[in-house]
Amino acid sequence: MREDRELSREEIDAFGAELDALRERTLADLGEADARYIRRVRAVVRACCWSGRLLLLAGWFPPTWLLGTLLLGLGKIIENMELGHNVMHGQYDWMNDPELAGRTYEWDIAGPSDFWRHTHNHIHHTYTNVLGMDDDIGYGVVRLFPEQRWKPYYRWQPLWVTLQALLFQYAVAIQHLRLDKVFKGRISREEVRPLLRQFNAKVGRQWVKDYLVFPLLALALGCNALAVLAGNVVANLIRNLWTFTVIFCGHFTEKAAVFAPSTLENETRGHWYLRQLKGSSNLQGSRLLHFMTGNLSHQIEHHLYPDVPARRYAAMAREVREIAARYGQTYNTGTMSGQFATVLRRIWRYRLPQAV
Amino acid sequence: MPLIPLRLTIPLQPLLAPLRWLTAHHWLRASDVDACLRFLQPAWALTRIHARVEARRWVAEDMLAIRLRPNGNWPGAQAGQHVQLFIERDGVRLSRSYSLTAQADGCIEIAVRRQPEGRVSAWLCEHLSIGDCVELGAPYGELRWPQEGAVLLAAAGSGITPLLGLLRDALGRGFSAPVRLLHFVREQGQRAFVEELQQLQARYPNLAVEWAVTAGAAGQRLSEEQLHAWREAHVLSCGPAGFVEQLRELVDGQAASLQVESFTPPQWRAEGERRPVRLQFVRSQREAVGDNQASLLEQAEAAGLKPEHGCRQGICTQCTCQLLEGAVRDLRSGEISHEPGQSIRICVSAPLGDVRVDL
Repeated sequence: MREDRELSREEIDAFGAELDALRERTLADLGEADARYIRRVRAVVRACCWSGRLLLLAGWFPPTWLLGTLLLGLGKIIENMELGHNVMHGQYDWMNDPELAGRTYEWDIAGPSDFWRHTHNHIHHTYTNVLGMDDDIGYGVVRLFPEQRWKPYYRWQPLWVTLQALLFQYAVAIQHLRLDKVFKGRISREEVRPLLRQFNAKVGRQWVKDYLVFPLLALALGCNALAVLAGNVVANLIRNLWTFTVIFCGHFTEKAAVFAPSTLENETRGHWYLRQLKGSSNLQGSRLLHFMTGNLSHQIEHHLYPDVPARRYAAMAREVREIAARYGQTYNTGTMSGQFATVLRRIWRYRLPQAV
Repeated sequence: MPLIPLRLTIPLQPLLAPLRWLTAHHWLRASDVDACLRFLQPAWALTRIHARVEARRWVAEDMLAIRLRPNGNWPGAQAGQHVQLFIERDGVRLSRSYSLTAQADGCIEIAVRRQPEGRVSAWLCEHLSIGDCVELGAPYGELRWPQEGAVLLAAAGSGITPLLGLLRDALGRGFSAPVRLLHFVREQGQRAFVEELQQLQARYPNLAVEWAVTAGAAGQRLSEEQLHAWREAHVLSCGPAGFVEQLRELVDGQAASLQVESFTPPQWRAEGERRPVRLQFVRSQREAVGDNQASLLEQAEAAGLKPEHGCRQGICTQCTCQLLEGAVRDLRSGEISHEPGQSIRICVSAPLGDVRVDL
């Protein structure tokens, strides 16, 4: 479990000031290299997706089908994480480039960007790990902390989690619709209708693109449409499983903390930083791992600085770690397998009401 | 060598229509399409206006004329209009407004005065080379050449540029009434387009050009005598705000018509008492307490938002957003907008009271 030193009000203020200073230093240093980097990432996404789709046209021939599927999955992962997620956080808004503007970027995933900008950027990042406010805690179907009130359906949560992992993009997409509240009658159907329209339009487009246009294109070119369809399905599946794993490692590891809503009362900047630090967990690994997670392996830094370009997190992490150590705060980090194992343990353990 | 010559982008324009439809309906991403078009021709794009630098020449000690060939998305411009020019420095897209000094053969010419501290103009003057591509905004500007009658053009500094564009166009169309061009510059070497103007003078007897150097003890100033003989003329003036205001006072009510344009934003006068207002930024779901004096752009930035913007002086329309509720005051004109759903430029709009904007 976590071992955090209790900080006085003055210490919390000083802690916040140090983290603010790091933010200012990093922002002042942004420039050409960051702009070149994000455009290169975009070039990699294009190269992966387009070459993957091209290879899939070769049909069931195993080497090309596997490689094509993998490349397409890879392209989608990078697009969703290092490119889309980070751009939509406004990390590159300082460039003033309309193509990389956080407000308008639309990503290659079922959920509309506007939904994500609300549920994720606003709700999740503001109320991180606050029970009853941050819907990302278990997404309403999983009990991960003993503080969550037990409900009978949690008994089957290993099954729900598996389904959620396989269909992760849809799980993320429907979050904004608040269907639970609609069923309970707390939100009217009229209210949810425009959102539903937006949702259907985006999901429809994604389906038509991946599961209709490209298979039909293959057919028109005299290729195997079924192989293309299967490649697209598997690529989306790979992306779902990977993003699920990364995201569940971000806030639900053994040493991640949750907070009561009362934490938010009179919360200062320093308190907010402290809550982000306690509620997030990092992954250690190679540069490739950091890249493939969209630098969400630096989840702590991402939550402290959601609008600073993610490629800066690695350098910032060294300082954050040092600051955390000085203030006696646990810096929650570990290997991906180790952290994920603790997440699975939580899912298994808290399915039962008496587990505390 | 580009795979497709730039000139060909104009006849190929209709081919892009289906792609535009697909991007407008979110089936394709415009940036992906643009990347492919750029591969074929560096200045090609789906809807954005890019232009290639065809020529550059110094027209004064501190002014560079740049000839640009825009791609097929250029809508055409009227003489006397300006364009926003975009470049990227240290990863940041910057833009400045420049006036068109000439248009011919599918090319446009702009003139850039090198500002000592200017991030954009200094770079353009020193580093922009022939063959480079830059992005342009759509042309804008309200200066129009009068139908008939004598015309007085009064320019200060780089204010010469839109007036020269108008003058060339009018003389080329056969305008025959008397035209007088007065150009005020600080130093002798800042007289711009001297050769061209002298040639025009030789060719068109109805044109008279005069320069006035304002620096030093013997420096000339704009005076009533200078303008006396041209009382009944149509007056067009362009220059810094101070110059334009002075001219407006001198000719007010006497000229046949008066059109002015100033390129430094006038000091916006505060209206009434400073008082707090509640600002709701709907899209980013933020609320802030601001005041009724500063622009919404500044106040949004102070609240931690990063609204898209360009010129910050009400020109480029990049920061345009919807006013959802409440009223705003145009900082330049004092005009009040309160229509829900109205588009406002947040860089020159200050809230009159509590407002909700789609930011």
